[in-house]
Amino acid sequence: MNDSAPDISGGGGDMTPGVSDVAQFSPRSAILGYALGLAFAIILTLVSFFIANTQLIWQPSIPVALAVLAIAQIGVHLVFFLHITTSPDNANNVLALAFGVLIVFLIVVGSVWIMGHMNDRMMPMDQIMQMQR
Amino acid sequence: MSTTILGLPPAGIDPYRVGRMGGGRSEPPRRHETGPAPKRIVVGYGFWIFLLSDIVMFSTFFAAHAVLRGAFAGGPTGRDLFNIPNVAVETALLLASSFACGLAAVAMETRNMLWTQVMLLLTGLLGLGFLLIEVNEFATLVAHGAGPDRSGFLSSFFALVGCHGLHVTAGLLWLGTMMAQIFVKGFAPRVYRRMLCFNLFWHALDIIWVAIFTFVYLYGVAA
Amino acid sequence: MLGKLTWAAIPFDQPIPLLAGAIVFAALLAVIVWIIVKGHLPYLWNEWITSVDHKRIGVMYVLLALVMLVRGFIDAIMMRSQQAFAFHSQGYLPAEHFDQIFSAHGTIMIFFAAMPLVIGMMNFAVPLQLGVRDVAFPTLNSTSFWLTATGALLVNLSLVIGEFAKTGWLPYPPLSELTYSPGVGVDYYIWALQISGVGTLLTGVNFVTTILKIRAPGMGYLRMPVFCWTALASSLLIVAAFPVLTATLAMVALDRYLGFHFFTDTGGGNMMMFMNLIWAWGHPEVYILVLPAFGVFSEVISTFSGKPLFGYRSMVIATMAICIVSFTVWLHHFFTMGAGGDVNAVFGISTSIIAVPTGVKMYNWIFTMYGGRVRYATPMLWSVGFIVTFIIGGMTGVLLAVPPADFMLHNSLFLVAHFHNVIIGGVLFAGFAGLTYWFPKAFGFRLDETWGKRAFWFSISGFYIVFIPLYVVGLMGMTRRMQHYDVAEWRPWILIAAFGIIVMFCGMVCQITQLVVSIRMRHELRDETGDAWDGRSLEWSTSSPPPAFNYAVLPDVRGEEPYWQIKGRAIETQQLPDEPDYRAIEMPRNSPVGFITAVFCTFTGFALIWHIWWLVIVGLVAAYVTFVVFAWRNVEEFEIPAAEVAAIDRERRLARQAWLDARAQVSEPA
Repeated sequence: MNDSAPDISGGGGDMTPGVSDVAQFSPRSAILGYALGLAFAIILTLVSFFIANTQLIWQPSIPVALAVLAIAQIGVHLVFFLHITTSPDNANNVLALAFGVLIVFLIVVGSVWIMGHMNDRMMPMDQIMQMQR
Repeated sequence: MSTTILGLPPAGIDPYRVGRMGGGRSEPPRRHETGPAPKRIVVGYGFWIFLLSDIVMFSTFFAAHAVLRGAFAGGPTGRDLFNIPNVAVETALLLASSFACGLAAVAMETRNMLWTQVMLLLTGLLGLGFLLIEVNEFATLVAHGAGPDRSGFLSSFFALVGCHGLHVTAGLLWLGTMMAQIFVKGFAPRVYRRMLCFNLFWHALDIIWVAIFTFVYLYGVAA
Repeated sequence: MLGKLTWAAIPFDQPIPLLAGAIVFAALLAVIVWIIVKGHLPYLWNEWITSVDHKRIGVMYVLLALVMLVRGFIDAIMMRSQQAFAFHSQGYLPAEHFDQIFSAHGTIMIFFAAMPLVIGMMNFAVPLQLGVRDVAFPTLNSTSFWLTATGALLVNLSLVIGEFAKTGWLPYPPLSELTYSPGVGVDYYIWALQISGVGTLLTGVNFVTTILKIRAPGMGYLRMPVFCWTALASSLLIVAAFPVLTATLAMVALDRYLGFHFFTDTGGGNMMMFMNLIWAWGHPEVYILVLPAFGVFSEVISTFSGKPLFGYRSMVIATMAICIVSFTVWLHHFFTMGAGGDVNAVFGISTSIIAVPTGVKMYNWIFTMYGGRVRYATPMLWSVGFIVTFIIGGMTGVLLAVPPADFMLHNSLFLVAHFHNVIIGGVLFAGFAGLTYWFPKAFGFRLDETWGKRAFWFSISGFYIVFIPLYVVGLMGMTRRMQHYDVAEWRPWILIAAFGIIVMFCGMVCQITQLVVSIRMRHELRDETGDAWDGRSLEWSTSSPPPAFNYAVLPDVRGEEPYWQIKGRAIETQQLPDEPDYRAIEMPRNSPVGFITAVFCTFTGFALIWHIWWLVIVGLVAAYVTFVVFAWRNVEEFEIPAAEVAAIDRERRLARQAWLDARAQVSEPA
């Protein structure tokens, strides 16, 4: 763990998130990457805001479409801004991310599922009040 | 102590190696087995893990909001309260800020002090703009009697969005400190690593915001 | 100026906590005075408080855990004795006080005894086993420890200033809401746990990074000792689960401080959501504790059976399987809340499934012992005791995983007996096994075997005498947390349990005696070789106690059980490997930043509890300043010159050579 100059080598075929391939860094392509990510993000955001308020498409599909767009945009951010790729030197980063996504999924979906059932089976509040009377 | 291992299983110490092939298998080091990783990798990875934990924390607030999104308690709903154009401006500011942060990283990579500072300043100003709009939105809501104590729905809204806002605030504090540090110390390795982490942090906040504007605001007005 | 804090906060009318507080305070004062008078303060400051050495931090964690274990055990004695007296009477503890005791007992035992015990062992052993010099972020590690200590301090402060929560070890709303708990008890709970929770989270981040990124050359994933694997799984669980705790407690705090409606019974709050969220953390937490315990037993059983661990790969797979599945079972803590048959069935099944990898581990340990030359030293006794005890606890757990059975047994003493059975039999026994196992590595001398065995026999028999009766009264319908009762059938069992806790107390006395006796006899118990137990993993290849840099040269790992190979090679050739080329070593400098941050966090936490807002701000600003000052320092590391490294390592080699020669003389018939 020698702390000399910032090692550009990438060290043992390993990468850290947030850095594109430093060994062959060129400002032009890096800026281009960010710009491309920005463009994708803008498009996806615009579509999201548009379909949320539109009557043009079948209404029940809107939440699904919004969720898909959000996930797509998160993907864009991960790839273009955080430089998470599928290359082998990124394996650890991707595995950690996959673990995190799994946990997020379990907590959110699990909570919604469990609490939905709880609420369904809950006696309505006014009936509880009547019983207490 | 380690220079003369021949890798042969030492004689007579292998009584019951059930289920394990020979024990003393000896192979040349493979990839990822070349000893401790360089500090840049270690710091970046550690911060990445921390960010994942942060995202799990947000997911808890998201789960709470998903559960309480119908708990209006007779109070206002998302449709009554949310100002979507406002949210669009916030989104644009944060996205631009994220982009500027990326450019700062590029400038840092080329060791260009001026552009690094300019881009970091831009990052900060755009983030500050986002924050001010958010504070204004919160103040307006509270002033109209739609504060967090009004209903479970609003509690979860304020907690989730406020938590993101707190992260942005902390990020701005970090950014200011780091700009001063870059100014004083230049691109020292430690400063470089900190910048790397800040980049990750700022982009991650943008990812959280994508989830917030979709699942809180747009769902709130659509539902 | 002082918020809600007045003289009324000190419970002058309650002699027990006040007396206990006075004794603790006097003892603390005496220790501090002794330290200052004897001039140990600079040593303590330079070598321990500001130390970023993972071994020192590990020792401090374990020390904290042991002190808190005694505190929690005293609570347990009070509960058992109260129930022994409180048949047709009020006993000697008023309900209000009794409620605080069972809350404090659970909180302290889980957060400030079991967690530091496990994290302390991870701190001490993992970098050594990986063959490296320190964890990924040494200063952060020190900060983690001191934040944990802050939490422990706040909980104990509640004994004399104010009160502790009366809500149980998890503050279930609406009882924990301001309406029903207007005092500061729940606030103490919240802030103590938030602060120590941050420390734990940072530990998790630190160890995930360490294990995945910082290993000796050649130490591939499938060459790591099982303890490292379990530490990795446990750290991953910390990283994934503790944010949930932080968020959930933040919601309770928002409810209490700012009138939010997360869990209130009015305004659209949903108190059932608290059970859901807190157990989404709470169940992984169980595995955060018990997985490293499994790791300790794997090391101990393999070492003392003189065999490699049976089924290493299946052990690794089982560990990682538990790591994932543990996130899919949390609802079994509230089957009775009424989620309905389908939801309950899914979680009942996943709960039963998690017993499978645990069963795999059990068989692996048993097969490791099979055919081995088992040495029943104290760590091995704890391990065998664990196998028997944990199987009983696991079986009752599978029983509780069946929702219809759980409806009968929920919140009964059967449940209490079950989780004590797995936590005492799993985590605590692992703590004691690990303590005796790694003690010679940490201090250079063994613990006394006689007293260790006495402690084991008293503890395990006391454990059964306490908890088998609790299973029985649980089946008879006695619920947990009863301050008094009037069912005659329960009475004899409760008295037996009370007798059992006396036996356990003898076990504790033996443990303390063991420490005292061992320290006094340290010269006889000295281990010169660094390999006190004929060990197999890398930590035994360095000297005891290890030098600050652990290894003069990072070991070059060529297989599983690298030290066993090195040792076998040395025995075979009758000589040590050639002397390596010593180089200067850079080590992280000590730093007071962890301690200072924790001091400010203590103030901030205390101020938040008592609504002293200016102090909150002062504390936060001071913590920020501390971090900036830390970020500004220029020199992070110091260098140990090559000559010094060589001198230290040559001494080790001398000891090893002496051991080798002695061994040759014994094995060759004269």
